[in-house]
Amino acid sequence: MWKDSYSIGVDLIDEQHKELFHRVWEFARVIRSSENWEDRLEQVKETMDFMKDYVITHFNDEEEYQEEINYPDIEIHKQAHAKFREGINQYVELFEKEGLTEEKIQEFGGKLMTWLIVHVGKMDQLIGEFVRSQGGQNNES
Amino acid sequence: MKVEFVNPFYKATKDIFKLMLNIDPQRKDLKILEDMIPGREVSVLLGITGHLQGGVMFSFPMPMSLDMIKIMSGMDINIIDNFASSALGEIGNIIGGNALTELSKHNLICNIIPPQVFVGEHRSLSLANQKALLLTLTTSIGEFDLSVFLKTGQ
Ligand SMILES: [Fe+2]
Repeated sequence: MWKDSYSIGVDLIDEQHKELFHRVWEFARVIRSSENWEDRLEQVKETMDFMKDYVITHFNDEEEYQEEINYPDIEIHKQAHAKFREGINQYVELFEKEGLTEEKIQEFGGKLMTWLIVHVGKMDQLIGEFVRSQGGQNNES
Repeated sequence: MKVEFVNPFYKATKDIFKLMLNIDPQRKDLKILEDMIPGREVSVLLGITGHLQGGVMFSFPMPMSLDMIKIMSGMDINIIDNFASSALGEIGNIIGGNALTELSKHNLICNIIPPQVFVGEHRSLSLANQKALLLTLTTSIGEFDLSVFLKTGQ
C-alpha cells in the first residue's frame, strides 16, 4: 500500500506514515479474508483499536512538528486532521452502537485507505515542500 | 445542461487519478445523451443538490475497477467486495467534493449526496427528460465514462 512517492522527506513523519500504511494494509487483509468472520473478530477488534490510537498519535506528532517548523498552513492542516478523525469516529460510534459487522467494517476499511492515500499523497506533501523551500534537510539524518 | 459544468469534474477526475493511481486519464470523446446513460460493469453515482441539481456518474469496466483497487491497496483483488466498492465510492466522493469546491468559486454552491456504487452487468441510468454529457476517458488500465447531468435549480 505504501509507495515511495508518498515520502515527504522528513524522517519522523515518513516512518510514521509507513507504519500507518502497513497497519491499514494489515487491517484490510484481515477484513477481506475469506476465513470465518467470528474467528477473525478478535483480530479485527485489536487492529481497529491499535489503528485508532495510532492515527491520533500520528496526527498529534505531525501537528507538533508543524508547530516546530512554523508551518504556515498549520490551521488548514489541523482542520483536515479533524475531519479525518471525525470520519473515523463516526464509524467507531456506529460500531459501539450496532456492533462490528463484516459489511460495515469493510466499508470503513475502504474509506480509511482512500482517506489515507489522499491525505498523505496531497496534504502532507505540502509539509515536505515547505521544508525544502526553507532549505531544510530532506532525507538526511 | 452547460458544457462548463463538466470541466470541474473532468479536472478533478484527472487530479485524483494522478494522485491516487498515478494515472493520467485523457479525454477520448464527448457525447450528448438524451434518455439513457449506458453503464459499464461498475458504476459510482453521486447525487448533486443545491444551485445545480442532478448527478454525476463514473462507470468502469470490471477489470479496470479491480486494477484501481489493486494499485491503491497493493493487494490481490478479484472481486468488488464491500471494501473495494467503498473505496471506489469514496474516490468518487472526493472527486465530486473537489469539483464542487471549484464550482463554488463561480458562486455555484452545491452538496453531494453520498455515493452509490453499482456492481453488475452494465447498469444503465434513465435520465427522465434531462440531458447528460458523457465523456469517455482513456487510461493505461482501461477506458471509463464520466457522465454529468446537471441543471440549474429553479
Ligand atoms: Fe497530515
